[in-house]
Amino acid sequence: MKKKILVIDDDLNIREYLVSLFKDNGYEVYVAGDVKQGLSQTKKNKPHLITLDIEMPGEWGPRFYHQLTQDPELKDIPVIVISGLSGHQCAVVKAVASISKPFDRDELLKIVKETLKK
Amino acid sequence: MSKQILLIDGDKDHSISLKTYIERLQHDVTIASTFEELKQHLDSKKTDVILADPYIHNNTASCLLAKKKETPLVQIIIFTSKDRLDSAMDFFKSNALGYLELPINRKALELFLAQAQKNIALNQKIKQDAKTITKLQGAHNFYRQLFEEVPCYISVQDRTLRITASNKRFKRHFDSRTGGFCYEIYKHRTSQCPDCPVVETFRDGKSHSTEEIVTTTLGKQYNVLTRTAPLKNEKGEIIQVMEMSTNITQIRQLQDHLISLGLMLTSMSHGVKGMLTALDGGIYQFETGLTQKDDNRLFKAFGQITQITEKIKKMVLEMLYYAKSRQLQYEEMAITDLAQTVVDTVKPMAQNYGIKLDVSIPKTLGKIDVDSNWMAASLVNFLENAVDACVIDKDKSKHCITFDVKKTSRKTVCFTITDNGMGMDTETKNKMFTLFFSSKGSQGTGLGLFIAHRVIQYHGGTVDVDSTPGKGSSFCIRLPLQKPDDVKNNTICRDEPLTLPLTGADTQG
Repeated sequence: MKKKILVIDDDLNIREYLVSLFKDNGYEVYVAGDVKQGLSQTKKNKPHLITLDIEMPGEWGPRFYHQLTQDPELKDIPVIVISGLSGHQCAVVKAVASISKPFDRDELLKIVKETLKK
Repeated sequence: MSKQILLIDGDKDHSISLKTYIERLQHDVTIASTFEELKQHLDSKKTDVILADPYIHNNTASCLLAKKKETPLVQIIIFTSKDRLDSAMDFFKSNALGYLELPINRKALELFLAQAQKNIALNQKIKQDAKTITKLQGAHNFYRQLFEEVPCYISVQDRTLRITASNKRFKRHFDSRTGGFCYEIYKHRTSQCPDCPVVETFRDGKSHSTEEIVTTTLGKQYNVLTRTAPLKNEKGEIIQVMEMSTNITQIRQLQDHLISLGLMLTSMSHGVKGMLTALDGGIYQFETGLTQKDDNRLFKAFGQITQITEKIKKMVLEMLYYAKSRQLQYEEMAITDLAQTVVDTVKPMAQNYGIKLDVSIPKTLGKIDVDSNWMAASLVNFLENAVDACVIDKDKSKHCITFDVKKTSRKTVCFTITDNGMGMDTETKNKMFTLFFSSKGSQGTGLGLFIAHRVIQYHGGTVDVDSTPGKGSSFCIRLPLQKPDDVKNNTICRDEPLTLPLTGADTQG
């Protein structure tokens, strides 16, 4: 069974990039453009991993993480932060990784692979 | 103290005996027995008292009167025979200190000399005091000038905070009269301000400072840095407090702009990182499209790379424009071509977001004098802004932008861009063309609409905005078909970096 990844980013181009990258590497991918959509997609599809942008219109990425951890069913889903914001490493302390934009796709795939193995 | 006495007497024996008597009173005496001797003495030597028989020569009396007018400090005592005394009094009147009848009563002479000495001392004191008063007046004028001309607002206040004195600058900007309350004049309040530094100074006698925003009589608001100083009486009691306020509005404005600049650099850096990631994405799609022989992916990747490249180009151009703008490069071009270029640039972006773009460009619009690069970039900016306003608006399922071009007169063309996006509130609408103002958070630099608006202005055009929150916005950009005269005469040479404070920017939605 394919592992499921949810991509949360407000930039359409970056969303499409990540969708292609993950699909090409054998993952099933879902997308969300903001925190609200991200939460409903998480509840609906129960992804195995989430990539999260920090700065988005409306609520910020850390708000999503906070709400995620409030749900006992979802709180253990690993989150990788992908952001262009300086200081993003501190935004979600329990993230499995914090990657700066523009990122190295091999490095991202390696982290995703290792995280999903666990 | 001995005085110089000139004794005018035609009787030699009488004068010698008088001289001996007066010298015994510790005065220096010189005798003039002829008119020539009198003239010579008055012209060359210092004389304090003249003791004279005015009838030794016809001109003696008038000569003495002239001397009195010339040197008012000189004291004149007249002596003459009884029959001439009245006529001497009629002639000299009060110009002589006293009149003595011959033979001279020595006691009376002694008293007159003592009075003359007193008069001389008194006159000298008056002269000295007059000098001191002139000096004091000079110093007073000097300090008054300092008080009036100091480049800050000065007011002197009593314990009730009533202004008892103020300098010229204060009067010009706040109140030309004295007697008003500080809080009324500076702040248009009806009661004392909290933490008033004047009250504090009255309390502890020390200088206090605060930063305040005050409002002038014309309603202008200034940031001022205020310092107080106690004014004490001879007993050391504080009777009044002086308040000096320096206008620091420009410094605060500059600080605000520096903060905006810092925020802009942060958001720009975030924006650049996002664009580079998206560009990486485009390249990835392109590479994988080639290896997978997937035409659809290749086509999409190409579109994405083109779009991101345009975005990066636009951002770089905006930064260059802000750092060092250039003169407009006018050329004649068909309005239809200009409008079509703008539409072709924005169309993929609108399609990408599923926004309908309704275009109305008549073919017979004629030509226009414009800097085609900047004008196209400016119109694209307005259209992209409309796209952003639709993308952000989550309340409507379908969004539409209309781009309508028509000639409004023989000399003007109007580009109307209407969207049904999220619209703007009044504050956003008022600030939308301000430098570094963006309502898009990290997505906007605050440069786009600022520059777009400037480009329209430099072409002699205008931008009218109509917007309703939740319903959408309409921008009407009117441009003259021909280059404006002031541009022709090269009076608009925008080659210098823009100065602050400015208007213009990336805002809607």
